[in-house]
Amino acid sequence: MNLWQYILRRLFYIIPTILGVALIIFIIFNVVAPDPALIMLGKHATVAQIAELRNELGLNKPMWAQYLDIVKSAFTFEFGRSWTTKQEIIQMIKNGAIPSLTLTLPAFILSTVIAISISLVVSFFRGKWIDKCAVFFCVLLMSVTSLAYILFGQWFFAYKLGWFEISGYESGFPDFIPYVVLPVIIWIILSIGPDVRFYRTVMLDEIYQDYVRTAKAKGLSERVILFKHVLKNAMIPIITFVVIQIPFLILGALLLESFFSIPGLGGITLNGVYNSDFPVIKAMTILTAMAYIIFSVITDVLYTVVDPRVRLK
Amino acid sequence: MSQSNIQSVEGVEIEETKLKNSKSLWDHALENIFRDKMAVASLFIVGFYALISVLSATGIIAADWAVEVGPSYSAPGADYFFGTDIFGRSVFTKMIKGTEVAMSVGLVAAIISVCIGVVLGSIAGYFGGKIDELIVWFYTCFQSIPTIMLLVALSFVLGRGLVSMYVALGLTSWVNLCRLIRGEVMRHKNRDYVQAASALGGGHSRKLIKHIFPNVSHLVIINFSLMFQTAIKTEVILSYLGLGVQGRPSWGTMIDDAKLELARGVWWQLGAATLAMMIVVLSLNILGDALRDALDPKLKGK
Amino acid sequence: MKKFTTLFAALAILVGFASCTKKEKETGKTINIAVSADIKGMDPIYANDRYSSNEVGRVYEGLLEYHYLKRPYTLVPNLAESMPTVSEDGLTYTFKIKQGVLFHDDAAFPNGKGRELVAEDFVYSIKRLADPKLQGLGWWLLDGKIKGLNEWREKHSDLPKVDYDEVVEGLKATGKYTLEFKLTKPFPQFLYSLAMPFTFATAREVVEKYGQEFLNHPVGTGPFILPTFKQTKKVVYTKNPNFRKKLYPSEASEEFKAAGFLADAGKELPLVDRVVVNVIIESQPRWLNFLKGKVDFISIPKDNFDSAVTPDRNLSPEYKEKGISLLINPSLDVTYTAFNHDLKLFQNADLRRAMSLAYDVKKSNELFYNNTSLPAQSVVPPGIAGNIPNYTSPYRGPNIEEAKKLLAKAGYPEGKGLPEITYDCPSGTVSRQIGDYMKQQLAQIGVRIKVVTNPWPELQKKITKRQVMLYGIAWGADYPDAENFLQLLYGPNKAPGANGSGYNNPEFNKLFKTASVMQDSPERTALYEKMNRIAAEQAPWIYGVHRQNFTLRHSFLKNYMSTDFETGQAQYLNIDTAMKAKAVEKL
Repeated sequence: MNLWQYILRRLFYIIPTILGVALIIFIIFNVVAPDPALIMLGKHATVAQIAELRNELGLNKPMWAQYLDIVKSAFTFEFGRSWTTKQEIIQMIKNGAIPSLTLTLPAFILSTVIAISISLVVSFFRGKWIDKCAVFFCVLLMSVTSLAYILFGQWFFAYKLGWFEISGYESGFPDFIPYVVLPVIIWIILSIGPDVRFYRTVMLDEIYQDYVRTAKAKGLSERVILFKHVLKNAMIPIITFVVIQIPFLILGALLLESFFSIPGLGGITLNGVYNSDFPVIKAMTILTAMAYIIFSVITDVLYTVVDPRVRLK
Repeated sequence: MSQSNIQSVEGVEIEETKLKNSKSLWDHALENIFRDKMAVASLFIVGFYALISVLSATGIIAADWAVEVGPSYSAPGADYFFGTDIFGRSVFTKMIKGTEVAMSVGLVAAIISVCIGVVLGSIAGYFGGKIDELIVWFYTCFQSIPTIMLLVALSFVLGRGLVSMYVALGLTSWVNLCRLIRGEVMRHKNRDYVQAASALGGGHSRKLIKHIFPNVSHLVIINFSLMFQTAIKTEVILSYLGLGVQGRPSWGTMIDDAKLELARGVWWQLGAATLAMMIVVLSLNILGDALRDALDPKLKGK
Repeated sequence: MKKFTTLFAALAILVGFASCTKKEKETGKTINIAVSADIKGMDPIYANDRYSSNEVGRVYEGLLEYHYLKRPYTLVPNLAESMPTVSEDGLTYTFKIKQGVLFHDDAAFPNGKGRELVAEDFVYSIKRLADPKLQGLGWWLLDGKIKGLNEWREKHSDLPKVDYDEVVEGLKATGKYTLEFKLTKPFPQFLYSLAMPFTFATAREVVEKYGQEFLNHPVGTGPFILPTFKQTKKVVYTKNPNFRKKLYPSEASEEFKAAGFLADAGKELPLVDRVVVNVIIESQPRWLNFLKGKVDFISIPKDNFDSAVTPDRNLSPEYKEKGISLLINPSLDVTYTAFNHDLKLFQNADLRRAMSLAYDVKKSNELFYNNTSLPAQSVVPPGIAGNIPNYTSPYRGPNIEEAKKLLAKAGYPEGKGLPEITYDCPSGTVSRQIGDYMKQQLAQIGVRIKVVTNPWPELQKKITKRQVMLYGIAWGADYPDAENFLQLLYGPNKAPGANGSGYNNPEFNKLFKTASVMQDSPERTALYEKMNRIAAEQAPWIYGVHRQNFTLRHSFLKNYMSTDFETGQAQYLNIDTAMKAKAVEKL
């Protein structure tokens, strides 16, 4: 099979995946979800009103039609309106995407770069005390709940020391910067632990490969091997790890957004959960799933182009 | 929050060193682990946690967690080891009772996900063809949905409680293992010794269980320790979202309480839960690393 | 390694930015408000929660409002010229409307200039509330009350389009500025409904222009303007330059006179240029922002209470020095734990009384309300007619002895024979703790409770579908009349109506039916009190507390008090800018 055939096949595979994802979402949200009428009508609802509303929302449609609606919405992005705020969901998502990305993108890039550099250093000194300490420290960072970082960071750095804004957001560059610095730092602290551990593992995997031994036998210095060979070869798993995380960035940072009053998608999702606002949860799920599918195709295709060792099956 | 799963790399198969036979692999592993003092310590700690949770589950210790032992919000000191909570209950006892929840959630969820992952993974890898395609399709779909959304949706569906927590966590964490097992089984099924077993007339299940499974079990062990700690951490997040365990203390609900209490300077509930969680997560991680280093054939010969 | 240096440089710049953005000097007067829940859009007919109705009240106005400085709460005309004339039989209300009131400028009007408000606008707005296709959340308020309106609603629920031009008998504009309501039966609370955001005036042109997006284009006659609403964490209103001449009141109740609330008497409203509403959901950032002076007032988060207020109900000196002051006022509400009266189990009054007696309300007041609330004896809160001052319910706990006796009398000595009782509550941290407390308390007499937390909609569903045994919940007043509380126990209001517990007592029902059509009078108050007493003695619920608001405000915020009916409050508030500049330096 040649490359183009492979790519085509991979693209074609998107279709059953979307159908399957839609099926799972349909089962969860349409078959077993609670009755929206009660959520929307509040404390004085009457039976007649509930019946009227169910009709209005299309909940009396046959099951297959409801399923098709979900599949359709994956392409048209017509998610309808939120049950609690009555806003158009696609509009909410559009409004929330930028604030979320201004937080998650810099945080993601910075944390990835920092984590990779730490893990390079650590794998250079593998097995030595510096490695052990670093790993221990990373795990320590991971083990403290995110809530503790947020509460403490906000109270100490923003309030006591006054270095950052306590909470809030301004749209537009560079107005948003003072508001996102602290959440970005907290994000980095939160993700540095798992990231470093992952990248270290990947690099160690490479270091113990035969070619490294050969290189060493040839008398190349450790540093050259690390940067020239190991990093280069470790790039594939690293890229996968990175690319596959990108779709989840649009989900925003649930707790961070909530505590720092950043009007992003994370807050929208969290609110959806608190209020059982199923169309919103559903829309966010579909959106992330679509992004995930697309990005995994991109990574798969990237591999085959970059690394001929990957077998085309 | 950021994704913290260790993602494996699909489709990338890199030449590897030859596997030694399974027995000596395990011997080596045990030897390695016992040489690593940190790993031994971690093993003891995890064992200690397990012991505590068994004791608390059988009611030998911490059965009196609901009893008021002093005034509300007493600071830690000689009288109250870790202070008291809003009702004057001992935070220390709650922490111990919470250990039971955490350990059982970790254990059961990990078992569920290991079962699903191993069964589906080995079936897919072994039989290949249409069955494989179907299972791969299934987990691809499953994986496309963000875990947190699945968790939330499942806990809405299953209702709240310990059992639904087990199921929700188990159902959302099997994909990774399934994929690894599938790849590994695929590789092993064409190996000589399996082929030989076929020639001798072994059935499918016999082949799978007797010959292939021992060779992929290291993956299960490594992943088990990872899932265990992921489950413990997720329990905390779910409790924070109000979807957690009810009617008994868990580390998650303790941290949720602490969110408000911190304002009045009550840090000990957060401290106790975080400390308890930190130690066990740390130990599980170190143990997982040690197991990996010891068992993963790719790391041989370091 | 070059990459890293640039990276650190970028980081340094980021941090630098943060520290450089010192607050700009305040120009003009701005009110900064923090709210703890998202705003659900700006359509009056959907404003059923406190947060949305406050926002709606900044832009829109109604015929009537509560006098800002009078207690007990008194209705006064707002867009109405004067209070209405009421016919002999109490069924026809005729309003004169203020002339020359303009809607905000908007593209929906010719030339973009806001047109004058007329009586027909109210007819339209109230029909909108009744529109079966829109499912307005305030319909319960007028359901069955206005002649012909229910028929109009029913007729149009099956038709493809709702015809607003069809005349409804009980809701007519008899002149350009005259509005006439005809009621089906006497409804003494009718006037209160005209002070609620549900019935505020909207312009038909605007609604029709924006359609479903109307909720994001608020165009009213009110003191503040918001060109478009965006679902975000920050909403900025500006002063309406064409606001009619409305003056700050020059009369006040004694308490407000003494507190200097008349300093701005006779000044034109609104008193400030901008109102900034910040949505801050978590309590820590809300509190810290207040302490930094970025929010003008705040209701004290439960767990910050001890640090802010001394045991003798004074503000701690640390905060006094910063010019912060403390306001305490009771709120019209009641918290309660309801029994599901559909269950045979709870039709046993002695069991209910026993459980009520076992519950230590004083301790729960300490634990959850910092001892600030008033233990509820019955359903009607203090401050409105119907509450019986100094009355103590015979079944108010804690009295474990008596509770045990009653439990035995009910047929369950020591709790033997009782099933495990589930207690459903919302899933917030404090609600969960209250549930745990209930469990603890009832365990003392041998009643076993299982606490189940639910997201709010889930709880509502369970209550409506009668899938609960015990549930903990609260009710806040829609208007200052005991009827609004007593209806919670009126049999025919059974779920899905407001009576979620399904309590049905013929004697109570009869009294309620009589009182509900009576005008405010000593006789009606007597009936209210009688019902209130029944509600205490029969223990249909385990009563919780009537809460009090403990609010902090900065010295530079003038004319602020905490009130149960905050709609429209922002126009009366003032900021002392000189004082603010000084105060902020200290914070």
